[in-house]
Amino acid sequence: MKVSRRDFLKYCTASAAALGLTSALGPLSKALAAGGGPPIIWLSAASCTGCTFSLANRISGSAPVDLGDLLINTINLAYHPNLMGASGSLAVDALRTADNGSFILAVEGGIPTIYNGKTCILWSENGVDVTAMAAVNELAAKAAKIICIGTCSSYGGISAAAPNPTAVKGVKALTGKTTINIPGCPPHPDWIVWTIAQLLAGVTPTLDSSGRPTALYGSTVHSKCPRQNTAWATSPTQTGQCLINLGCKGRNTRADCPTRKWNNGVNWCVGADALCQGCTNSTFPDKFAPLFSTMGALPSGHDSVSTPKTTCTACHGQNVD
Amino acid sequence: MATVTIVDPVTRIEGHLKVEVIIDTVGGSLKVTDAKTTGTQFRGFEKILVGRDPKDAVYLTERICGVCPVSHGMAGSLALEKASGLTAPANARILRNLVLGANFLQSHILHFYLLAALDYVDAPAGAPWSPSWNIDLMRSSSLQQISNNFANAITMRRKAHEMGAIFGGRLPAPPAFLAGGFTTKPTSAMISSFTSYLYELKQFIDNDYVPDVQLLKSIYPDYAQIGKGPGNLMAYGVFDLVDSGSSKLFKRGLVYNTAPTSVQTLSTANIKEMVTYSWYANSTNNLNPAGGSTVTVDPATKAAAYSWLKAPRYSGKPMEMGPLARMWVNGDYRAGVSVMDRHMARALEAQKVVNAMLDWINQVAVGGAVYSSFTIPNSKAGEGLTEAPRGGLGHWLSTSSSSVKAPAGGPAIANYQIITPTCWNASPKDTNGVKGPMEQALIGTPITNAAQPIEVLRVIHSFDPCLSCAVHVMRLGGKPVVIARAGAR
Repeated sequence: MKVSRRDFLKYCTASAAALGLTSALGPLSKALAAGGGPPIIWLSAASCTGCTFSLANRISGSAPVDLGDLLINTINLAYHPNLMGASGSLAVDALRTADNGSFILAVEGGIPTIYNGKTCILWSENGVDVTAMAAVNELAAKAAKIICIGTCSSYGGISAAAPNPTAVKGVKALTGKTTINIPGCPPHPDWIVWTIAQLLAGVTPTLDSSGRPTALYGSTVHSKCPRQNTAWATSPTQTGQCLINLGCKGRNTRADCPTRKWNNGVNWCVGADALCQGCTNSTFPDKFAPLFSTMGALPSGHDSVSTPKTTCTACHGQNVD
Repeated sequence: MATVTIVDPVTRIEGHLKVEVIIDTVGGSLKVTDAKTTGTQFRGFEKILVGRDPKDAVYLTERICGVCPVSHGMAGSLALEKASGLTAPANARILRNLVLGANFLQSHILHFYLLAALDYVDAPAGAPWSPSWNIDLMRSSSLQQISNNFANAITMRRKAHEMGAIFGGRLPAPPAFLAGGFTTKPTSAMISSFTSYLYELKQFIDNDYVPDVQLLKSIYPDYAQIGKGPGNLMAYGVFDLVDSGSSKLFKRGLVYNTAPTSVQTLSTANIKEMVTYSWYANSTNNLNPAGGSTVTVDPATKAAAYSWLKAPRYSGKPMEMGPLARMWVNGDYRAGVSVMDRHMARALEAQKVVNAMLDWINQVAVGGAVYSSFTIPNSKAGEGLTEAPRGGLGHWLSTSSSSVKAPAGGPAIANYQIITPTCWNASPKDTNGVKGPMEQALIGTPITNAAQPIEVLRVIHSFDPCLSCAVHVMRLGGKPVVIARAGAR
């Protein structure tokens, strides 16, 4: 099926309910790449590379069907330190060619600021070590759009956990620029691909107060959780029950994991009888730590588990369903 | 006339590492005469963990590495179980092995095809793979079979992650690991799905991955002589076959100078971390990790230092960790220590692991216990020793008498020390001036073109370093030629 750009835009701006992310995406983005869609410069700051390898788990019924299709046919990934063929000057040249025009900046990892940024050096140029802090400051000022891939670049994340030994900041806190945040530790590959596709189509997603696309982060995990009306588990030996008493943060965490699931839909955290850690939150991991405790598990005003969801306004109010 | 060549960044590795080599003419040809490896990233997980709930260490340390989070989950679980005097149930041991095994397979496949192979074969057209250096690539058109498997490798790597997520919950950062056992209660549907994935991966490993590495080794026989290093090989061992851990698929032990028949017993009491050439306070030099300390200094104030990695040593010696070390110590592969031997041992290890997993999946007990409850004791220590795909990983934990904040309660983490495999392999000089394994492996490497020293990349990539890596090449004497971008910016 051929899909026109207008169809695609319509698709992109459709209601959240239509955001299956699968249909219609490929043909247009391929056309955009062929027609010179803006290059993407992907920086890896203080990261674990987990966001990149989560992206590599992309699999979909329609294009881009997987990482290969995404990279070969869909986007122009001008710079990515873990994937690119070029090293040294050739790599930095590629970056400098891309940043000479309109480009999308993607940042993975938090930005350390201690010791003038010297706990994270990305490359050297003109004989000078270029820190992540310097690179992000420079490129964020020129980028057409900035996507923060993962919780660390969005808000600091794990690398900024107390006592924040390297004075890590998220990109927005560092640069003051507006960023589109795709938090998650790691983020789901579909969230990354969807957001990139929006930008390639010229659509700026509607963002919530944490800078996240509302289309992706509009509902709490709990509100879509298949266990929301089950009994509360009291031990990890139990299965299939609500994990709130073991520390599940699903009532205070916005993501579509219960319906989208992970790794080609094979499972997700709660599906494994493991708590939602709240990894898409701007305060992850500190605010709700100790993680294996009810810290942050129950929003104030939340009704007891036996209350039918439609009458509990704590998470089933205007925001969801 | 002196030439300084700087090539930076080196790509296709995980994390941040810089390697600086000096290239000089030796006997009429160019060779690496000196090498320095620099870890250029410090995040401070050990400091972040102090004072937290010991149970949280599993989830937090999984975020040290997106490629080997499973190994950190395993080490973190084992460390707290050791401190608590607990052995997890057999079912948990088997499920952990299966998820860890899945991650070994994804990491090894990823490493060979997406990170290392492009040093030898033509890359796919277009960004991000092209342009790339073009030195000594495609010595034979038969290598096209490796290029042809690039897309398959992307698929198989993803499928290995999917397989691991069946029990692990998701990958990367699997939530199913926890001290005391495992969260997932296996079902026969999960076992059946896992088994299908296993057969698919086995087919790829048997019919493509292993033959592709054998082919590469035959076309680049010189790389069976390049990149040896100190030849001291060490493994903590991994994949416990019994609950006590006394029997493992890969044994614990070490050899010095590639001695084939004298595998020695490993005692972690002999491990010391040296910081003379690292950006840490000299007062913390030469500590055993069980009593280790991490105190950074501003790089501007410690001129002799050149890395954020400490220099771990075993009885004062640098040790290489990784698939080759595991296979050597175990007696499965002792052909040699070189660039190609590392690739070959890694592929054969993948084969051994996938075959073992086919046994383990049949041992999973539906309805069997996966978790034992336990109480975390005050002021106890535990070490969690396991293996990441790229080498031995150790977590050293001690609990305090002070409590974690409510509502958790219980003793907090007093100290936490982590030594990653790449910290061993890419370590800087120690207090005695002895270089790390990767530094030693680089010295003597012949170079064709100092402006595009692909040979250096090949040596570095053979270790599968879990760090992004930058290479600085210097030629002795003369004025600098800067290969790194030297534009107007």
